[in-house]
Amino acid sequence: MAPTLPSGDQASDQDNWDNGRLARKRQLLTEIVLRNRLTALVVDGDTTCRVLEQLLLRSYGVQTQGVDNGRDAVALIASGVKFNLIIIDMILPVLNGLEATRQIRDMGVHCKMLGVTACSGESERQAFLAAGVDVFIEKPLDPEHLVPILRELDGQ
Amino acid sequence: MELVQIQRSLVDYTKSLFMEGFLDAQFLQLQQLQDDSNPDFVFEVVSLFFEDSEKLLNELIIALDQPNVDFKKIDSHVHQLKGSSSSIGAQRVKNACIAFRNYCDVQNIEGCLTCLQQVKQECYLVKNKFETLFRLEQQIMASGGSVPTIELGF
Repeated sequence: MAPTLPSGDQASDQDNWDNGRLARKRQLLTEIVLRNRLTALVVDGDTTCRVLEQLLLRSYGVQTQGVDNGRDAVALIASGVKFNLIIIDMILPVLNGLEATRQIRDMGVHCKMLGVTACSGESERQAFLAAGVDVFIEKPLDPEHLVPILRELDGQ
Repeated sequence: MELVQIQRSLVDYTKSLFMEGFLDAQFLQLQQLQDDSNPDFVFEVVSLFFEDSEKLLNELIIALDQPNVDFKKIDSHVHQLKGSSSSIGAQRVKNACIAFRNYCDVQNIEGCLTCLQQVKQECYLVKNKFETLFRLEQQIMASGGSVPTIELGF
């Protein structure tokens, strides 16, 4: 493990609060152990976001697949591939995330869907939830949101 | 320069990036995802971000130069840049994108042009910061040391 150098500086109350929050985030990243093999589909047109979200999921032992547009996501689900979790962005190339979500739900797919998007407005949140996502998360996807969901899917 | 001094420089430099708002806590998460099986993960993802952001910025320059500006298209590009910048912890780029989207919403071309310059500037600045960061890490590795983890005790 890489050495940690002391900062040598006095921390304010705000800094301590921030450090506590960050420490809790670190705890979440390292402490979960999944009993079951979960699978997830990540649908994001941006390579950086898709790579990061897939790696975050893999760090928890989730097997992931990624697609970069809504049409391919719908086609993959329609082909019969099953996932425990779908993470989908709102703005996607070819077929947008709202329509892709509707089509996936219309196929009778009931798995957990997380709308993870850079959109932050209440109307966007409502639209995404109405389209069929279970949870709306503003990017970036972080362990604080993800870990409780993984635990729930794992039956913990 | 001794190894411990370079390690100290890296810690201080990284700390300054957080203090100045260039980076936020999401960058720490990125570092947490780096391990022995992915030793260059942070460098690779950050490089990926700058490759993609350069393309997006070029698209934005072209889109804002059209006689009939397609604000929906511009908003889509800025939205993407907001998402990717937030995912690597590039806080000032993300904030510049938020301001940009506000001008897209009201279809204010002058505002958009100003914001485009701001976003370009923030991308340029944070890219330089990352280059310095990675250079310090390389110096540490070349000296046979380990890159220290950053604890935000400041």
